[in-house]
Parts: sequence; structure tokens; C-alpha cells
Amino acid sequence: MNRLGVNLRVVAALGRRSVRQTFRRPQLFAPILVFPTLLLAIQTGGAGGAIELEGFPQVNGFLDFMLAGAMVQACLLAGNSGGIALAVDLEMGFTDRLFAAPISRFAIVAGRLAGTAALGAVTAVWFIAIGLIFGATIEGGVAGAILVLALVALSAMAFGGIGAAVALYAGRASVVQGLFPLVFVILFLSDAFFPANLMLEPAGTIAEYNPLSLIVDGIRELVVGGLDAGAVAEALAAIALIGGLSIALSAVALRRRLRLGA
Amino acid sequence: MTGRVEVAERRFSLRGDMATVGLLVRRATNEILRVPGAAIPGVLAPTIFFLGLTAVFGGLTQLPGFTADEYQSFIIPISLLQGAGFTGAATGVNLARDIEQGWFDRLLVSPAPRPVLLAGMVASASLRSLIPATFLLVVGFAVGVSWPGIGGLLLAYFFVMGTGALAACWGSVIALKFKTQGAAPLMQAGMFVLILTTTAYAPLELLQGWLADIARINPVTQIVEAIRQGFTTGTITWGETWPGLVAMLALLIVLGGLALRGMNKTAE
Amino acid sequence: MRAIEVSGLEREFEGAIRAVDGVDLEVAEGEIYAFLGPNGAGKTTTVRMLTTLLRPTGGRALVAGHDVVDEAAEVRRAIGVALQEAALDPLMTGRELIALQATLHGLVGAEATRRGDALLARVGLAQAADRRVGTYSGGMRRRLDLASALVHEPRVLFLDEPTTGLDPVSRKAIWEEVAALNREGTTVFLTTQYLEEADNLADRVGIIAKGKIVAEGTPASLKAEVGKPHLEIGLADGSAAQAERVCTAFGRRLPEKEGKVLVELEGGAAEVAKVVRALDDAGIAVESLDLVEPTLDDVFVAKTGEHLEGDIEQAPAAAEAG
Repeated sequence: MNRLGVNLRVVAALGRRSVRQTFRRPQLFAPILVFPTLLLAIQTGGAGGAIELEGFPQVNGFLDFMLAGAMVQACLLAGNSGGIALAVDLEMGFTDRLFAAPISRFAIVAGRLAGTAALGAVTAVWFIAIGLIFGATIEGGVAGAILVLALVALSAMAFGGIGAAVALYAGRASVVQGLFPLVFVILFLSDAFFPANLMLEPAGTIAEYNPLSLIVDGIRELVVGGLDAGAVAEALAAIALIGGLSIALSAVALRRRLRLGA
Repeated sequence: MTGRVEVAERRFSLRGDMATVGLLVRRATNEILRVPGAAIPGVLAPTIFFLGLTAVFGGLTQLPGFTADEYQSFIIPISLLQGAGFTGAATGVNLARDIEQGWFDRLLVSPAPRPVLLAGMVASASLRSLIPATFLLVVGFAVGVSWPGIGGLLLAYFFVMGTGALAACWGSVIALKFKTQGAAPLMQAGMFVLILTTTAYAPLELLQGWLADIARINPVTQIVEAIRQGFTTGTITWGETWPGLVAMLALLIVLGGLALRGMNKTAE
Repeated sequence: MRAIEVSGLEREFEGAIRAVDGVDLEVAEGEIYAFLGPNGAGKTTTVRMLTTLLRPTGGRALVAGHDVVDEAAEVRRAIGVALQEAALDPLMTGRELIALQATLHGLVGAEATRRGDALLARVGLAQAADRRVGTYSGGMRRRLDLASALVHEPRVLFLDEPTTGLDPVSRKAIWEEVAALNREGTTVFLTTQYLEEADNLADRVGIIAKGKIVAEGTPASLKAEVGKPHLEIGLADGSAAQAERVCTAFGRRLPEKEGKVLVELEGGAAEVAKVVRALDDAGIAVESLDLVEPTLDDVFVAKTGEHLEGDIEQAPAAAEAG
């Protein structure tokens, strides 16, 4: 088998492992699905009256509006969880075993990211299902749902890159765990939960420029508006920006780790 | 060996029980004082949520029928309770860890009465929950939360400590049942649901149907409203306070009872 | 009064697994009783029942004259317990742990402090008393655990695998301490998977396998039960047949091992000199001579058909890493 083939198999095997690991440990699994779902339910019930506010975009219901935010939140948390799991692997010496194997070192990180992307896809399916069950409509139809799935999986991978970079740099699970509050800072400073134009200042202005808002908008448009090439393209651009940056950072952190032999 | 009989026949005294509670509380403080940085996320998280919720949902006050002028004064009771809830749940996680690692057996083979052991855990959660609450209040007043009056402030602290105790009881029930840290999300999710399925984000009249129904019967709604009165109106009335006190007492009796039952069933 | 009286003790777990299946035993006051058996034999389950941590599903147990179920509080007051793998909090200092333990047993104030200091000194941890347990070595942790079990001067001391995973020097230190405590009058019930430990320390040994006691007695009587000591005689080439003829006079001949002639000594170890003299008289040159006493493992093999050894060397290194 050629080297690319070997590496792809490694990526797939490690990806499968990371998904399995997540579903076997409630501590990893709950933040990705359970908490965003609870928060979605409570925010929809608690702030649902907001669609009456002047300036709120035209939507069928507040739940339709909130789905994109819940998915992006789940992706960010999946990225964080993936980082924690990678750091645990580093702490326990599991990665040493992999580093010693005749495979591309980056395949190890790529495997973790592939797993995170798969988890992202799972959350997309989950929240689309929740949405449909509780009366939301996917205006983009089947094609729109598939595009949602792709965007969510790709953003999970991009956020996973940040988690991986921190894990590789620090090598300690507690440090990656410490990013948890930061995830919410980024979320609250985007339009994940509310239209940016109705948020208080200065958060509203920050949300306008937060690349995360572009991702949320791209997914949201497919749910509440319909197939909108422009919004999807903007979301993809934001994912490429974050993903490119995070994967480059991971590569640097990985090189540094291997050079230092830590 | 001299003194054997004397020691063996020693009766347990209030002084001894208080000393046990005190030392268990002191041990719990090690978790935050002796692990560098361990306290930071727990202290920051409620404040981040408070600032975030205010920024995001602040516009809700413009809805007709909203009962407060500034959202920060309306939402701060929720963040106070959430901070206490998560601190208390962390006590449950620590108990699960102690059970996993065998430390808890050390307490159980001692003759100290089980309620005293439980009291040690609950008291530590109660006291620890003051830390995120105080940080949150300082930040809150800095960003324009209305002054609730001394009475309102003391009432808020009282309910924060009560909620910390409540969450510790809940966390202990789960820890004693499942005996693994894997149950941690259940401890957190339980408090999360209990505190947020109330008039957390908006007044009862503005909640969507199902949430309004739950909030109406959730006793924590009474606690939320009891704390909220000071921040939104600046005055404390007995009529707004006593339902919260009753709710807190009832929840403590139920969850404390369940936790104690769990303590007594560890040998089964 | 017996320190421990157990009859028909049973513990069944979910799925009808009988970890302990009808154990009867008695331990006299002032005795050291060792419970010997491999991993999973039911040792720890028995100790957990005797120390009130686990409720029996059948049978009855009295410790220090009190029923472990109905009078759990009285039992707890009379016993000291050092559990397997020393569950210690790495964030506490040794002194803090002892203080907590004293408080848990109702000792407060100056008396508790004095007692704690004396115990820390006794187990050689006075210097390390204010260091965090996380920095202790495996041996130090076990000694601290032992000290903490002694804070209230218990009448019966339970030690669950007190030396598993320890190096020989630390193991020796624990043995000496346990022997000293026993001389002062403390009854000791210990579990172990080490033959040497039971042999050295215990007045009486109970051998447990699959939840049942398969043999019980003093180490010497148990060994005597399975057989007599035997001699292993190494010889120069060619004289084996002649030596065997000479040795038959002293007892049963055992199958040859590694070219050595093995003979059971009917009259016990006292016959060694006679064997040597007889071989010498016959003009046979002896290259080596070993007197082999039966071991508790032989007892175990005789009773269960399996060796006790096997998973003995699994040192709990992970527990010491933290």
C-alpha cells in the first residue's frame, strides 16, 4: 500500500477511536449534545417572545432561529472535548506509541480532527431532528439539510484544530479544559443566540465582525431562508479562515512538541 | 496500652461533630487553594454567563410586559444560583472521585455519624458558593446592576448558600448511586434544569407555553423571585420572600433526605 | 471473648456472583490472623463486611463482640482499618490526615494533637508530617495509612494487603510495626497474597479460594499437613542409583528433579545429619544438599489444585505515580 493509503487508514482508525471514546464517556458526550440541547430548549422557551421585537428577522419561530446557534455551540464544545481527549492521550503516553509508528505525525492530529468532524455531523443530524420534531422547518429542503450537515462537520473540524493546537502546545488536559468558559465568551459575542442588531453594545458590534457569526448565518439561512449561495460561501470562507489558522497552529505546536521531545 | 478503654468508650459530642464538619470543609478548600488555577473556571463561568446573557438577551426588556428596566438586574439572580449550583455539583463530582479512589471508605469505617459526614460536604459547598457569587456581584454592580439594599444582598447570599447546599445534596445522591465520576453530567444537568426551567430569562407571562407550565410549578421559581425582588425593585417584602424560603426548605429536606438515605445504603 | 467470630458469612453480588460463600472463622484476642489467597478469592469482600463497609447477604459476624450489621457504630469504634492501596488524599499533609482521622474518631483538642504527633514519630514520618501526601513514596503512604488506623488505639486492626506493591525494605518496616503493635495487645486481621508475609507474621493462617476457606491453622501445622520436608541431593555423575538405594531407608523417594535425587524425610528435618552420614559411609560424593520445607503454596496446591502465585507480582505502580 502506498504511504497516502496507509495514512488515510490511520486517520480513519483514529477518527473512529475518538468518536467511540466520546460516546463511551458521558463527561465527553454530555457537553456536545446534552447541554446544548437543554440550553436550546430553555432559551427557546424563555426568550421565544423575542421574535415580536422590532428588527427581529422574519422567521417561522424562535426555534428555527436558534437551531444554527445550538449546532455551532455543539461544534465548539466538540472541538474543546477533542482537545481535552488529545491532551489526555498526551499525558497518558498514548500518543508516544503513535509517534513511534512509521506514519505521518500529522495523521495523528488529522485522525482526531476527523473524529471531531464526524461528531459535528452527528450533532447536525441531532439538531435537525429536534427542530423537525418540535415544529421547525428547514427552508432549504433536503439539499439545505445536507449543506447544513457539511457546514457543521467542517466547522467542528476547524474548532477541533484550535483544541488540538492548545492540547499539543500545553500537553495538559486541565489547560484545554480551562478554555471551556472561553467557548461561551466567543458564542455570546456572536449572533449565535440573538440577532446582532438587537444585542446590547458593544457586544452587538463585535458580533457583526465575529467570523463565528458568518458561520452561524450560513447555517441559519439554510434553515430559515432557503438555499442562499452567498451566505454559504461566506460561511465556508469563515470556516476556511478559522480552520486554516487552527490547523497551521496545530502543525507548529506538533513540530515544537516533537522537536522538544516532550 | 494505657488509655485504650478511655478512648474506646468516648461518646460523640457536639464539639466532636462540629470539629469533623470543620475538618471536612477544610479538606474541601484544598481543592481550590492547593491546585493552582483550579478555582478560576468555576469563578469566571457564572460571570461570563451573566455578561453574555445580558449582552445577548438585553433587548428582551423592550417586550411589552417585561418587569425590569435593565436586563442585568433581572438576570443576575440566575447567574448567582447557577454559580452556586455548579459549585455544589462539583462537590458531588469530588465525592464520586473519593468513592472511586477509596477515600470515602476511610470516612465510612469511622464511627462519625453519617449525617455529620454529609454535613461536612454540604457545608463546604455552601461556603464555596460564596466565592463565585461575590465575584459576580462585584462585576454586576460595575456594569449597572441595581443596588438591592443590604437586606436584598443578604437575602441573595442566603439563597446562594442554600442552593450550594441543595446542589451538593443532589450531587451526593447521584455520586452515591452511580459511584463514578462518569455521572458528573447528570449532577450538572440536574441543577441546570432545576435553575433554568424557571422565570430565568423572562417573566412568567412572556415564557412560551411549556416552559411557563414548568416554571409555574418549579419551586426554584419562588427562590429566583425572592432574590430578584431586591435587584429589580430595591425593596424586600415578606410576601415575595416567604415562598422562596419555603421552597428552599422543602427542597433541602427532600434532597438532604435522599442524600442521607444514599449514605446509609453505601454498604448494600 | 473472641476478637472476631464469623459464621456462615456470605456475600452475593448482582448476577448471583458469590464472592464470599460461607466463611467460618474465629480470631482470638491478641492474635495475628492472615487471610491468604489470590486476587478475587474473596479476601477484600470479607474484610469489607467485617469493617461494616459491606452488608453480608448471609451469615453473621461479630467484631470485638459487636454484630457488624446491627451494631455497626460500636464495631467502627473498636476497629482500625488500613484499606488496600492506601486511599490517601494527595493534597493533604500527613499531619492533616492524622488530625482528620482523630476527629472522625471523636478525639479533639490537645489530646488529638499529642496522639497524632506520637504516631507520626512512631512510623518515622515526623520529618515529612507537613509535606503533602502527593510527595510521599509508596512505603511512606502505607506507613501513614497504618498510623491513621491507630489514632484511636483500636482493639482490632484490619490491614487489607498492607504491603502489596512495596519494595522489600518498606515491606519489612511494615511487618516490624505490625508485630510490635501485636505485642502491645492489638489483634490483627490481615489479608495478603504473599506467602512470606503470612508465614512470617501470622499466628494463624486461613487460606481462601473462590469464597471459601479451604484450610486453616498455624503456618507450621498447615505445612505439616501437606507433607514432610524433603532433601534435594545433587551428586557427581553415575552415583545416583547408589544414592537412591541409600536414601530409601529414610523415607519415600520423590521423582527426580533437574538431575537431583529427592527424598522425603519421614522423621523430619532432624534426619538430615543421618542421611549425610549414610551417604558418606557409602562413599558417595555429594555436590549439593538442600532441605526443602513445604510452603503455604504447597498447602494451597494440595487444597485447590492451583498455585497461589501468578498475579502476585502485579505491583500497583500507577497508585504510586500520583
